[in-house]
Amino acid sequence: MASNKTGQKKKEKSKRRGASQWAVAWRRFKRNKAGIFGLIIVMAVFFVGIFGSFFAPYPARPDPHAYDPFYDIDPITGIGDVRKPPSWMDPEEPNSWKYLFGTTPIGTDVFSDIIHGTKYTVYVGVLVTVITMALSIAVGAIAGFYGRWVDNILMRISEVFLVFPSLLLILVFVRIFTVSVGEPFLNIPIINIQIPTGLTIVIVILGLFNWASNARMIRGEFLRVRELEFIEAERALGAGNIRIIFRHILPNLMSSIIVVSSLTIAYAILLEAAVSFLGFGDANTITWGQILQENFSEMRIVWWAEVFPGIAILLTVFGFNLLGDGLSDAMNPRLRD
Amino acid sequence: MAKYHVEGGKKPLTSNNLIEVKNLVKYFPVYSRGVLLKKQVGIVHAVDNVSFNIKRKETFGLVGESGCGKTTVARLILNLIKPTSGEVFFEGENVFDKFQSASKKEKLKLRRKMQLIFQNPYGSLDPRMTVFDIISEPFIIHKHVPKSQWKEKVYGLLELVGLEEYHAERYPHEFSGGQRQRICMARALAVEPEFLIADEPVSSLDVSIRAQILNLLGELQERIGLAYLYISHDLSSVRQISHRVAVMYLGEIVELADTDKLFKSPLHPYTDALIQAVPIPDPKARAMKIVLPGEVPSPINPPSGCRFHPRCPRAQKICGKKEPVFKELKSDHFAACFFPHLD
Amino acid sequence: MAETLLNIEGLKTHFFTEAGIVKAVDGISFNLKKGESLGLVGESGSGKTVTALSVLRIVPKPGKITDGKIEFNDENLLKKTEKEMQKIRGSKIAIIFQDPSSSLNPVYTVGTQLRDVIMAHQTVSKTEARKKTIEILEVVGLPDAETRMREYPHQFSGGMKQRVAIARALACEPTLLFADEPTTNLDVTIQAQVLNLLNDLKKKLGMSLVMITHDMGIIAEMTTRIVVLYAGRVCEIAETHDLFERPRHPYTEALLAAVPRLDMRKTLRVIPGNIPNLIEPPSGCRFHPRCNYAKQTCKEDIPVLEEIESGHFVACHEWQNITLKGERSH
Repeated sequence: MASNKTGQKKKEKSKRRGASQWAVAWRRFKRNKAGIFGLIIVMAVFFVGIFGSFFAPYPARPDPHAYDPFYDIDPITGIGDVRKPPSWMDPEEPNSWKYLFGTTPIGTDVFSDIIHGTKYTVYVGVLVTVITMALSIAVGAIAGFYGRWVDNILMRISEVFLVFPSLLLILVFVRIFTVSVGEPFLNIPIINIQIPTGLTIVIVILGLFNWASNARMIRGEFLRVRELEFIEAERALGAGNIRIIFRHILPNLMSSIIVVSSLTIAYAILLEAAVSFLGFGDANTITWGQILQENFSEMRIVWWAEVFPGIAILLTVFGFNLLGDGLSDAMNPRLRD
Repeated sequence: MAKYHVEGGKKPLTSNNLIEVKNLVKYFPVYSRGVLLKKQVGIVHAVDNVSFNIKRKETFGLVGESGCGKTTVARLILNLIKPTSGEVFFEGENVFDKFQSASKKEKLKLRRKMQLIFQNPYGSLDPRMTVFDIISEPFIIHKHVPKSQWKEKVYGLLELVGLEEYHAERYPHEFSGGQRQRICMARALAVEPEFLIADEPVSSLDVSIRAQILNLLGELQERIGLAYLYISHDLSSVRQISHRVAVMYLGEIVELADTDKLFKSPLHPYTDALIQAVPIPDPKARAMKIVLPGEVPSPINPPSGCRFHPRCPRAQKICGKKEPVFKELKSDHFAACFFPHLD
Repeated sequence: MAETLLNIEGLKTHFFTEAGIVKAVDGISFNLKKGESLGLVGESGSGKTVTALSVLRIVPKPGKITDGKIEFNDENLLKKTEKEMQKIRGSKIAIIFQDPSSSLNPVYTVGTQLRDVIMAHQTVSKTEARKKTIEILEVVGLPDAETRMREYPHQFSGGMKQRVAIARALACEPTLLFADEPTTNLDVTIQAQVLNLLNDLKKKLGMSLVMITHDMGIIAEMTTRIVVLYAGRVCEIAETHDLFERPRHPYTEALLAAVPRLDMRKTLRVIPGNIPNLIEPPSGCRFHPRCNYAKQTCKEDIPVLEEIESGHFVACHEWQNITLKGERSH
């Protein structure tokens, strides 16, 4: 047979298992310093979000100890200044780590607030993205696969979502749905986890308002992959629609979906911070945006209570963006070979 | 009398018809994009009244320039798109009826008999799957091979198309164009088809690789008795592997004959021009030739009468007015022309 | 004997990619005489296009000319500054590509683009340039040139676009034209038109043509001398008749035997294996893993290009020991 000669040569050279596109992408990603930096930030955020409560210096609110960790207030008169600048620049506490980022006007430790807030950040980022992506994939896939009038209607709807000033609408909906919240925390029975009711409502609303642009992107990718010849080959083999969508088209969209998800997380975190900062958030959950909102009025004096949460938001958003860009470069077929 | 000196073509076959294509028509509407509703602004006459048949174990070549509708014919036969009108029979059974009304089982049975391979070996393999998964995919769909035999069967197919067992664990991006085309063939052969459509299978491959694939097609025909519909714009390769050839122009078949007859003494002026246009890899064969003027007109509003008449060196008044009938002008040699090269 | 117009010696153009150094052109030498039609034949990865880009000094990043000499009219182009090269490009050396749309700017009309080229290289007024534009468009056979020059590239068919690209390349009457697979994307009947046009123009303008292609038919029709490239190196250089009649390099012979012909059906001979990877090219003679005549020396030593007959150069260790059949004797 024709290829025997070189076939055997190849065999000697490399009898390895083939590298999947994931493996190839990871190899390429590893070389991308910015991407790795983003990945480190993202991993740190997730770590603090999950395990932060165990190593935060002071307890989370509403524990009374959180409000006056240093016992500055005279228990009898109730008088005393709880505002402290970051301990490393406080002349009273030289070289101390006691209150690294200072304390807020209500007496809480900014560093602890940020650490306790991380779990909400993760919660917001992940849940909003899950809702957004589920919607976008469903809409994008249906529009992309069925085309014609289905596509037309779905795309017109998405345009409506894109042209409305969504932040305003989000604020309106958040206000409407959060005024009547009863219990601040809901207990999920079997796994026994408490979820913040108000914040979850905010998350659902954010998720419902963000799908449009992602859905259009996924539809476009869907159309691109749908036209590839291997899809036609599958049809000729007798594969049905379900099989083609789930086994062939969606797996080929995975890289785009992952990239967009990473960027969506960043956007969701930013959006929730904005909602909270504007005072529409859930006061029972001290998210980073909530910290900004609480201390805004005294920002001139207690600047540290604004700057450090701000940096936390900035760094996290930056990290997810770097990760997204890095993943995009690594999985982008244009750069292949 | 032969017009061109041509030697050693494939001998015509006498076996039964496997595929019969009868008066196949496909029009595509052209839309202008509106806000909500689209407006139809024209019709592409992609395939217009095309009839031919393919015998068992035969290679039937379909030649034409881009946009002549040859690929649309292939997709219609495989029922990947629905025809505007016309019929295709496979072993005497009406393919379109079957795909419309038969049970899922019957449809799958028909799918198994006809397969295709494409021009672009890069787009025709799912990049996320290993070669093993790609080739065993048909087993999942048709369930005609028990899982315990998958491995044996996949290795057998790889060997059949000239690849090695260890290739099964690799991904498509690790292969060259020629090797990918082999993988495509293995996938198509996995359902044990009787008929394979090869749509420009070698035109995106390097010259030294083309011969490998063309020879492989020939070998497979001998070993498993496949019939081919070989679609190409490259006359030389069509001539190399076809028993009979049909020439398409703007959605219509203008000439059909045994390979040798067609290339030796073409009846239709378009076929003649095509043959003259192909550069011969021999400096001694360099000759003055008639170069066809103009370009292929748009299939949206094809010329009246004979569609070739605006470019035809032999055109007379009647050619623009009446459509020539596609008929047998010499024994087993069909053409649609008022003024064929008959002498 | 005609003077030498272009002389390339030991040209090396490498691409420094993430995966490694791609030795796309690795020591290519040949020359071109005035008024000659030279064919550069090779498959993908043979270095034929990169050679042309190197002569024009427009090798895309991460490619770099690392060694060699390119003499054009006895001046080394590799010593020229970028500014001097800009003057040479278009006015003395021009190139047309496989995909004509890539060389035409979609936002300007065809006429404007041509006029700009003319005005960049010649001191003419706008009206003169416009007149010249119409002239040149008529020369390349664009019907109704005066109206069509006001149209944009997307309004042209593939064949017409290639005519416009040719017009643009020839606007300043270069002495050397590289045609890089100019008809690969075109239909056969249109290909015949474009090839005819190139032949006519070459005669009319007396320029030299380097025809880059993988199509042995086009090479046979268009050229008088051929350089066969494989994996970045020259295998064989000979007059066209000589090369088709008596190829002396196993690769050339195999390539000729692998191409189907319209005028005869033959058993296609297969060249086994695949195009080599240019990051780790085969040692010694790069064709040895696919060669039927390869010996131990072929694996170890790089063959040098030697003149075995007047005007016939071959880079093969075994040329004396093997007898190759020409295309005709099948």
